Amino acid sequence: MLELRGIRSGYGDVTILKDVDLTVEAEIFAVLGANGAGKSTLMRTIARLLAVEAGDLRFRGEDVTAVAPNRLAEMGISLVPQEANIFPNLTVRENLSLGTMFGTRSSRSRIDEVFDLFPDIAARADQKAGSLSGGESQMVAFGRALAQEPRLMLLDEPTTGLSPKYVNLLLEKVRQIHDSHGVAILLAEQNAVKALEVASRVLVLSLGKVYLDSPVSETDLEAIQGGYHI
Amino acid sequence: MFDLLTSYTLFSLSTVMGFVALATLLHLQFGLAGIVNFGVVGFWGLGMYAFGVLLIQFEVPYPLAMLLAVAIVAAVSLLIGWVIVDLNDQAVLVATLAFGTIVTSLVTTEKWLTEGVVGLGSVPYPVETGDGALWQFVVLTAVTAAIVIYAARIAKTPYGRLLAAKRDNEPLARGLGKNTSRHKLTIFVITCALMGFVGTLSAPVHRFLTPDLIGPGVTFSAWIALIVGGKRHPLGGVLGVALTIFVFDFVIETYVPVPSEHAATVTVIKTIVYGVTLIVALMFRPLGLLGPGRKRGSR
Repeated sequence: MLELRGIRSGYGDVTILKDVDLTVEAEIFAVLGANGAGKSTLMRTIARLLAVEAGDLRFRGEDVTAVAPNRLAEMGISLVPQEANIFPNLTVRENLSLGTMFGTRSSRSRIDEVFDLFPDIAARADQKAGSLSGGESQMVAFGRALAQEPRLMLLDEPTTGLSPKYVNLLLEKVRQIHDSHGVAILLAEQNAVKALEVASRVLVLSLGKVYLDSPVSETDLEAIQGGYHI
Repeated sequence: MFDLLTSYTLFSLSTVMGFVALATLLHLQFGLAGIVNFGVVGFWGLGMYAFGVLLIQFEVPYPLAMLLAVAIVAAVSLLIGWVIVDLNDQAVLVATLAFGTIVTSLVTTEKWLTEGVVGLGSVPYPVETGDGALWQFVVLTAVTAAIVIYAARIAKTPYGRLLAAKRDNEPLARGLGKNTSRHKLTIFVITCALMGFVGTLSAPVHRFLTPDLIGPGVTFSAWIALIVGGKRHPLGGVLGVALTIFVFDFVIETYVPVPSEHAATVTVIKTIVYGVTLIVALMFRPLGLLGPGRKRGSR
């Protein structure tokens, strides 16, 4: 579904990702690594919020290395950024409706589906999103991304700063979204143990390079931890 | 009642109404779409002068001159918008401020077209009967009301939500599939063209068009009014103008007997009060009187 070949990317003159190769199929794919390893840079590069310095980026066989971010959304990629992932001055319902620009089903049915999946935010549908807790905000961001009817969701450290209750809840929802909608999920996470509970494949980044790429079933925690020791 | 509406009263009220329209259009640009337009006077003044030049120098028929003037402002704002659409706020501020200054300078220096500081005139009312000023005020009021109603409604539409989303988080909005640049350009051109339209309606109110009419004070007055009233609220411009320009340029100038030797002092006091009002508003109600107050402990 998603293929990266020799991707180099970064901020200005600073190159963060160095020749990253990655293939994501219809699966939950965990991206792990220490702070500064390049997880968020990878997500932002795939979402075309950062320019690709070198390499090829293909989605469902189509070269998307240079397409605009808004075109990617139309093709079926939705991103949930780590921070600033809601529109605080809009209500929960308005946030969700912004995710329904493309797709086949009605806006209302998609928003209702999100409310079914996240009953906590259904009760706050007409409340400004900026007044929600961190966990509820993440649900809104998840829900909006899901309302886009994506083929691939990019989740950038969605559990950062959340209580254990919300961490478990959100990762369970990630599994539900994948199982019931067949959505491929690329999940960047700090919490390796939790991420491995839901993922079927794992990539470990270390200083912007691929340290490990293998099925979770064939990987032990010790091998992953090697990528954290620089 | 109309006995109270002397020609001076109508002039003052028409001026106030023009500012309400400009401040409300600025609300659409800045409060809703996040475009920092510091060239308000440029678009308004260009509409006013383009209309005056076409009507007087080229003797173009009245309605056609208005239409062409608005088209000129729209074309210029499209060009400027195309340049600034993806720039950051500071760059947009400087670019639009420069545009306003350029318009003022060109009006002053291009005497062959604008008559320079001597003034271009006289711009007639469309109805040159005794009630011309009254009708112009009615038309300006109707246009201003339409702009305010449009501003109040657009915020509740999907397009308004999209503009608000773009203002709050443009990369995220782009990631949702929104072509934010195109939407930003569209609202910029429409609102600038309307500023030009208000300029064409203001031309006969001033009668003689001189460069001092289109100084930076027009832009700053509209900005101060909007910030005091509430930049995010569609009625923010209305309230802001009522508390600033209406009080000083209409109530005090019309009804407070200020001796002529102190007339200049009133202008100075006005500037000081505007400044103090702005500081107090920003300190205690950063989103204006119609916006939410500052939360306790946030300072």
